[in-house]
Formats: sequence, structure tokens, C-alpha cells
Amino acid sequence: MIEADLLKGLPPAEADRVLALGKRLLLTAGAELFHLGDAAECIYLVSRGRLRLTLPMQVRSHEEDILVEERSSGQTVGWSALIPPHRFTLTAAAQFETEVIAFPREALNAYLASHPDTGYAVSLNLSSVMGQRLQLFQAMWLREIQRMVEMRCA
Amino acid sequence: MEMLLMGVVISMFGLAVTCLAFGAATREPAAAKEAAAKEKVEVKAATANARFFAGAPARPVMDLNRVPIEALLLQIENHVRLEQAAAECFLESPNPTLLHSRTISTLVN
Repeated sequence: MIEADLLKGLPPAEADRVLALGKRLLLTAGAELFHLGDAAECIYLVSRGRLRLTLPMQVRSHEEDILVEERSSGQTVGWSALIPPHRFTLTAAAQFETEVIAFPREALNAYLASHPDTGYAVSLNLSSVMGQRLQLFQAMWLREIQRMVEMRCA
Repeated sequence: MEMLLMGVVISMFGLAVTCLAFGAATREPAAAKEAAAKEKVEVKAATANARFFAGAPARPVMDLNRVPIEALLLQIENHVRLEQAAAECFLESPNPTLLHSRTISTLVN
């Protein structure tokens, strides 16, 4: 069974029931899972391989997709599907052959609403994933500001 | 007396010829003056170019611009990975030293 960050703390049988809501997708190397701005209908769990999460940046007057994060086995991606306005804020593509489990928002929400204990555990796990990302990027942002200040004051 | 006067006249004539010859030898012709002027201008221009190259502080930027875009993108990607690793270290043990630890990223060094 996959050690999924979203299903942490659930009994194995209950985790299997949640996993059964999803549909496995196989991505070839370089294949795009979703694109920045797309409607976010599914949340994904990486079961094998690695996803590159990128944002566009101007490099020498050309738009390039710059790596922002990477997600590997057991990690969740695409939580925009659960949070309004349900639009992806990054682009995700497979770094090499990658398998993901896609959970449609409607099916997941309906199941979690009818199983409040599972819903609570999944919500807690989701909050934890988002909180860690927020703290990570706060630290990265501050490091960049520090460098900028040092350059300006040098 | 006549012999003396003839000697004086010949001496004066010789002196005049010598002065003319000396003047002709030391005077620069007009063409030579123009060539010299052009040469001076060229020297000035060369000096200006030399100052331009010698005083170019943007040389490192030019070198950076010459880095192939693929290599630059790899540098950016490597920088992001290093920064994430540094931020993760900070989150494991939050303290100011780890927050502002130095990076070995070639993008900022």
C-alpha cells in the first residue's frame, strides 16, 4: 500500500476505501498532468515516479517553465481541486514515467461528508501538507529578501 | 679691392644658398601636415576605444549572457533545490543561523 500523506492516521481498510475512489493514470516522461489556470477537478496522489511543478518565468525574453517543487511517491498534488476557485496555480508534468491516482472532487467530497471521521483525518492531513508548504516558502522567500538586502547594502 | 668685393659677394651668395637649402630641408610639406593630422585623429580614436574596453565593468554580465540557456535553466533549477533543502533544514530546527545559512548555488555566487 502507498504511504500517502493525505491518508496518514487512517486504518488500512479505510485508507483502501478512499483509494478505491480514485482512478490510476499513467504519465509518460514529460507528459503534462495539468496546466496553470486549468479548472481543478481532481486531486492527485503520486503512486510512482515524480512530478515537476513549475511556474512560467521570463528568461532572456523567453517564457520558460521554472521548477518550483517536486512531488514523489506518497505525496499529494493539486489541492486546488478542494479549494475555491478550483483553478490550478501551477503546471505539473512527469519528470519520468509516473503513475498517479486521480480523485474527482465530487466523489471525494461526497465520501468524506458521509464518513466524518475519515473527512476529519483527511482535512487534518491536507492542512498539514499546505501548512508545511507555506512555512517552506516563507523561509525561501525570506532568504531571497536577505540576499537582496545584502546586495543593496554592499 | 675688386678681389675682396668679389669674395664678399660670393660668400653672401653661398650663405643665401645655404639658408634656402636649410629652410627647404626643415620645412614640412602640406601633404605631410595633413597626414600627421590624420594620424593624430586616429591615435585619439584608438585611445577612446582602449578606454571603452578597459573601463567595461559589465564583463561578468556579458559572460553570464553567454551561458547557454539550457545551462542557465539548470542553474536556476539547482538553486531552487538548494533553497528548498535549506528551508527544510530550517523547519526541522528553526533558528536564525539555519534560516540564513550560506548557499553554494552558482546562480547567486
